[in-house]
Amino acid sequence: MSGTNRKFVFAYAFLVILPLLGLAGILKSGRGLQAPASIDGLWSLQLDSGQLASLPCGKVLAAIPDQAISISQSGNSFVLSFPSAPKITASGTLDGTTLQASVNDMRASKESGCADGQPFTMLATVDRRADSRILAGTFSPTNCPTCASVGFKAERQAAASPKGDH
Amino acid sequence: MPNLFTLVLQITVILAVCRLTGTLFRRFHQPRVVGEMFAGILLGPSVLGWISPQASAYLFPPSSLGFLNALSQVGVVIFMFLVGLGIDPKKLKHQSHAAVLVSHVSITAPFVLASLLALYLYPRLSDASVSFTNFALFMGAAMSVTAFPVLARILTERDMMKSSLGNIAIACAAVDDVTGWCILAYIVVLIRSAHQATSIWVTLGGIVLFAAVMIYGVRFLLRGLERTFHKYGEISENRMAFLLLLALASALCTERLGIHLLFGSFLMGAIMPKEPKFVRYVLDRFETITITLLLPLFFAFTGLRTNIGLLSGPSMWFYCALIILVATGGKLGGSTIAGWLSDMPLRDAAGLGTLMNTRGLMELVILNIGLDIKVISPALFSMMVLMALFTTFMTTPVLELICPDQALRPAPQKISVAEVSLQEIA
Repeated sequence: MSGTNRKFVFAYAFLVILPLLGLAGILKSGRGLQAPASIDGLWSLQLDSGQLASLPCGKVLAAIPDQAISISQSGNSFVLSFPSAPKITASGTLDGTTLQASVNDMRASKESGCADGQPFTMLATVDRRADSRILAGTFSPTNCPTCASVGFKAERQAAASPKGDH
Repeated sequence: MPNLFTLVLQITVILAVCRLTGTLFRRFHQPRVVGEMFAGILLGPSVLGWISPQASAYLFPPSSLGFLNALSQVGVVIFMFLVGLGIDPKKLKHQSHAAVLVSHVSITAPFVLASLLALYLYPRLSDASVSFTNFALFMGAAMSVTAFPVLARILTERDMMKSSLGNIAIACAAVDDVTGWCILAYIVVLIRSAHQATSIWVTLGGIVLFAAVMIYGVRFLLRGLERTFHKYGEISENRMAFLLLLALASALCTERLGIHLLFGSFLMGAIMPKEPKFVRYVLDRFETITITLLLPLFFAFTGLRTNIGLLSGPSMWFYCALIILVATGGKLGGSTIAGWLSDMPLRDAAGLGTLMNTRGLMELVILNIGLDIKVISPALFSMMVLMALFTTFMTTPVLELICPDQALRPAPQKISVAEVSLQEIA
């Protein structure tokens, strides 16, 4: 074997084969890692609209025609939106199995007299499973400790575990 | 039914903004593609949606995005056919030691570093429905890609296509692309098969059978097209339509087999006869409409999915900086070391590393697949798009800094995979 060939073989072993063996180790050690619970997808919402409408600033949320919420998740943070009311969005965080989000209603101050830009807080819990399908929690007016909370339940629709499908 | 007015308005605005930014970036010695990628971000929620949500909602109502996406995907299918057309697998067989080492290291180094980074990012930016293995493999594949067409354009613009450095770079980029797409195909199959009734072995068997039919059957038909071209100096419209039909049918087969439309069109391009005049002729028929009309739609659609607003807080920006650092370190650093160990002067090796770090459009294609199959989250997608933009943007200035006289050095030998490059893409 010539000097150039020997150098090539050593370089190839050191820079290609060795890292590939390292990759196998990385993939093995990563299997023990735990990612946040999955909440991404479309959820159908079940709540008492009448009770929600009776709360300060609740009319806007209660008036949403299609009771569905869409959650776009990035690790521990998520963005929540209402497909039939695109102007209403919420951003929040996931801590273990607990979700907390502030609902930003762009129409709130104009139409329902809500002075605050974030009239509602959503607090919910989810099963800690990859295909968790049930979300349960409450909507409550922000900055109103005396106001009641409205409970809700949401069920994940078909796209529960589609990681891999278009 | 699509709202035709909205769709035409969208196309008009997208084309205008892409042309303007592309031209502006060209003035700063940047490939046009960087400007067009930037235009996509300008039109998305990161800039237009942030400055004027009303204008954004009027121009890109959510209900209209399906049609825009469909058009842009057709563009990418044809584009991948053209990318495959520019790659000659036969020429890749006769590479020098330097090209072999650099091409393999430029895949393994970023791949392994990205997987290492995945250990840190997985608990922070993914969720329990994605397995760590899929996440890490996807990150590796996404970071190890090199934008073959953009690289070809940069080399042509700098008159480096015939230089030794240019030759090695273009050969390595071709190997990277082919390898990257094979790895990605495997990952997509792995992820999709986990949710399908069909066994992964049936899927893999189908893919092997399909590839065999393409390579040993369809390629024979295509040689007939090449012969017709040599005989008459042109190909009839019917035969061109037949070629397009084959590319689309191939795309449909790979989609049906559970990989992705793009693999089929890429394979169709790769098995085409590679006689330069014939390739140039076919490229001329497809390039203009794809590059001036359909690809800007893809850039815009990618921009609409990129929301820099999701990178809220210092930790998110830290992850983004880490991704850029690892991507650059793996690709630029790995290729530089490999080049240097292959007896290249350090300056040339660094120039080669810089060229290999160009990710451009190919990265966006891969990232969009990742977001579609939900192996990456929207925030990670946005970070990776920024990484693609940054690494492509830095190529020209860093290359000018490292190798200001590179165009003057002649190539001693062989390999010119992209003699027929996709000239207008960048």
